[in-house]
Amino acid sequence: MGQLLVVMTCGAAFYGAVLGFWRAPIQALYAAMKLPLVMVVTSCLTMVFNWMLATLMGTRMTLGQVTALTFLALATASLVLASLAPVALIFTLSAPEPSTDARTAHNLLYLFHTLFIAGAGLAGTARVKGPLDRICRDPARSRKIHYAWILTFAFVGGEVAWALRPFVGSVFFPVVFLRGDAFHGNMYEFIFSDILPHLLRWN
Amino acid sequence: MDERSPDALVNKEDIGSALPVSIPSAPSGIGPALAELLKHPLWAITRLESGGPILPSLRLLTGGAVCFVAYGAAAGFFQGGAQVGLAAMKAPLIVLASLLLCAPSFFVFGSLAGADLSGRQVAGLLSAFGGMLGVLLLGLLPIAWLFSFSTSSLIFATWLHVLAWAIALWFGWRFFTLAFPRAPARNVAFLWTVLFTVVSFQMATILRPVLYRAPGTPVVETGKLFFLEHLGSLKSPEPPKK
Repeated sequence: MGQLLVVMTCGAAFYGAVLGFWRAPIQALYAAMKLPLVMVVTSCLTMVFNWMLATLMGTRMTLGQVTALTFLALATASLVLASLAPVALIFTLSAPEPSTDARTAHNLLYLFHTLFIAGAGLAGTARVKGPLDRICRDPARSRKIHYAWILTFAFVGGEVAWALRPFVGSVFFPVVFLRGDAFHGNMYEFIFSDILPHLLRWN
Repeated sequence: MDERSPDALVNKEDIGSALPVSIPSAPSGIGPALAELLKHPLWAITRLESGGPILPSLRLLTGGAVCFVAYGAAAGFFQGGAQVGLAAMKAPLIVLASLLLCAPSFFVFGSLAGADLSGRQVAGLLSAFGGMLGVLLLGLLPIAWLFSFSTSSLIFATWLHVLAWAIALWFGWRFFTLAFPRAPARNVAFLWTVLFTVVSFQMATILRPVLYRAPGTPVVETGKLFFLEHLGSLKSPEPPKK
């Protein structure tokens, strides 16, 4: 599990650096530190709940097994993100310089990174489906647990990332490690009330 | 292009059974290598899987790059003059840079989908993929040249090349379905092809202008732009031609 933790940390740090690179070099450093933190904190917060879910759905799993599968999922996601970092970098370098006029660029980059991270998360959770099938020995039950875990990772990971924002870095706020209003709002609310309406010109 | 439907190939052993008992050694020239890639794409894949040298695949990529140069030159005839040479230089750069940027994700995606890939196989497969794209564009070159030379609409010319690129990419993806006939890897290959497509559009935007350069403007524009914005900006009044 130590190796998985190393892969998770390095992969996420690599992508995190690209994530923050658009706003400022210091933001790249902050994001490189915070994205691995998102992975580790998400692992810690979801492990016990995921173990409870599996138990409630009638599968006997030890907490150690759930821990290993959680680390496997998030390490895989980090590896996928690291492999996508060159692609993300080319789009970051192509975006207009950060300024208050570059809100559209910020929102596009935000959506783009969200899609990449969501895709990597799905790839990571897909990686644990095989081991989960072997442990459950019941495909239907395994599928239910798998979907429940995906939802848990998505909701918890999204909220942890929101609390540890900024990653891309807003054009309206200075570069900081953490925002003062860290626990105000959530990522989904931000995407549907700010990012998408601006891109689709709803407001 | 394939000698057997990808759906009929269930696993690597099936690939082997679809082939002649002995595969001829790789052609030594670039032309014969590209011709073989068109007629027997499985041979290049099987040589890579059986641990053959990577040189034939690199030969395919070199051939592909030559094809991109030719296609770029044909596209440059939209404006003519120096733009023919500039487009000929930019076209291979766009494709090769996109391949390089997407190589890490090809390895990771493929490995996660269950394909047992080595670095050598990744380099070989991507080189053959590049060769396939190049030779398909070469096939479309006369049409591209005719329309590029005769049309005065930048929008039409741009979308014509997008269509040609889409056709080449479709067959490029079909090449991957031969390398990865089983479902997870095959689907992931499709996903990667989409990623490669998006990156190639962005690379074309970074290296713009490819088709038309207004007098007095630099060879490569310095402003930063997303490819969607770039395609959208083509709605602006058309530049005077020639």
